[in-house]
Amino acid sequence: MTPKAATMLALALALSISDALWAQAGIPTLSVTVSDPSGAAVPNTTVSVKNLSTGQSIEAHANASGEYTVSGIIPGDYEVSAAAEGFGIKTAKVSITAGEKQTVNLVLTAVSPTGAPSLGDLGFTPAQAKGSAQDQARLDKRSHMLKTHQRLGLITAAPLLATLISSGGAKGKNGSASGRELHAALGSITAGMYLTTASFAIFAPKIPGTTVRGPIRVHKALAWIHGPGMILTPVLGALAYDQRSRGEKIHGLAQAHAPVAAVTGIAYGLAILSVSIKF
Amino acid sequence: MQILTLAFLAVFGPPALWGADTQWVLEKSTLTYHVSHPLHQIDGVSHSARGKGVCHVGQCDFLIAVQVKSFDSGDSNRDLHMIQVARGAQFPLVTVRVRLPESAASQSTINADLEIEFAGQTAHYQQVPFQLTTQGNEAHIMGAIPAKMTDFKIDPPSLLAIPTKNEIPVKVDMSWRQQ
Repeated sequence: MTPKAATMLALALALSISDALWAQAGIPTLSVTVSDPSGAAVPNTTVSVKNLSTGQSIEAHANASGEYTVSGIIPGDYEVSAAAEGFGIKTAKVSITAGEKQTVNLVLTAVSPTGAPSLGDLGFTPAQAKGSAQDQARLDKRSHMLKTHQRLGLITAAPLLATLISSGGAKGKNGSASGRELHAALGSITAGMYLTTASFAIFAPKIPGTTVRGPIRVHKALAWIHGPGMILTPVLGALAYDQRSRGEKIHGLAQAHAPVAAVTGIAYGLAILSVSIKF
Repeated sequence: MQILTLAFLAVFGPPALWGADTQWVLEKSTLTYHVSHPLHQIDGVSHSARGKGVCHVGQCDFLIAVQVKSFDSGDSNRDLHMIQVARGAQFPLVTVRVRLPESAASQSTINADLEIEFAGQTAHYQQVPFQLTTQGNEAHIMGAIPAKMTDFKIDPPSLLAIPTKNEIPVKVDMSWRQQ
């Protein structure tokens, strides 16, 4: 018997013995699974297993589940390929060692009947070509919240400006009780609207894998100034209000109310400009 | 008789070349969309397009695809907003299909009929001119696709409650290699 005939006989015998027996005996086994990009089995698939050192190959049809198993395969390097009508050929290389069970999954991509290239030909995986309605919904929600943030931010600029202007009637020689009341009321409205505006940006869904680039970095950095400023300003303002109401001159921490308010107002204005003007 | 055979071969060429398929592969590309807003002029650039052309019996079918998220306008917030309005998470790829006669490779201007899939919609652009320069197996194509957002049912994005213009022309600069 020639070596080639002996090998073919060994392969034929191997195929006639059940997989379970081979597995129990620790004999090398090669399992090939063929599917389409959705994971569904491809019927009538021809599977070819070629020994790369001897050049000998065997060819068979996968079962209805797209599976084909070669048990008792001789250890070595093999080229496994699968082909089916309407699909391209898929090839993979595999090394079989003694006593090992190897599994090869081959995903066949459909080919156009006209021969026109497909997305698979361009190297796009099904996952890259397929979108996610869930991710789109997250983006939609994010955009909706940030649009609201923008609009409220612009609207908040009005009471903020009014609060700054009304400060003239709340302090110094021209200051009066009614002026302080007005200033405090406008300040409260500003603080309330500001916190609402900020919450739409803070709680907008985050998109994983996004690196912050461009003017939005300046916008976010400025929030670290006007954010704490918008909390401190009313607190310091309340202290100043109490002191003035008791007829005292503003002293201590309350003296920082006006400077903190000015820095906060400037940072807020710059934050709006940072996303409005290209630089 | 031998003369007749030689004449036949001279006219029809070697049988191996009849209907022989050739392929083109996109080597390098720059796609740039332009969006106009009263406060901003925005250019989003992608170098990530992939493309392939298959020529068979005198006709070439080209497919170019690019991920929506690969466009960079220099501002991550704006890019995410563009992906959102273009429904890029649900439809992550822009694809362009075009069929050209193989003889187009010898012309300096190609007028191409484009089929573009974007944002889950398909739009057709007829006779879009592209400048073509060829050198050996390389072909360089430049042009602009006169796209509009409404062609793909996209609502123009807005900044500070002001919407952008509807036009979103896409400049194309591609280098192809014949295989």
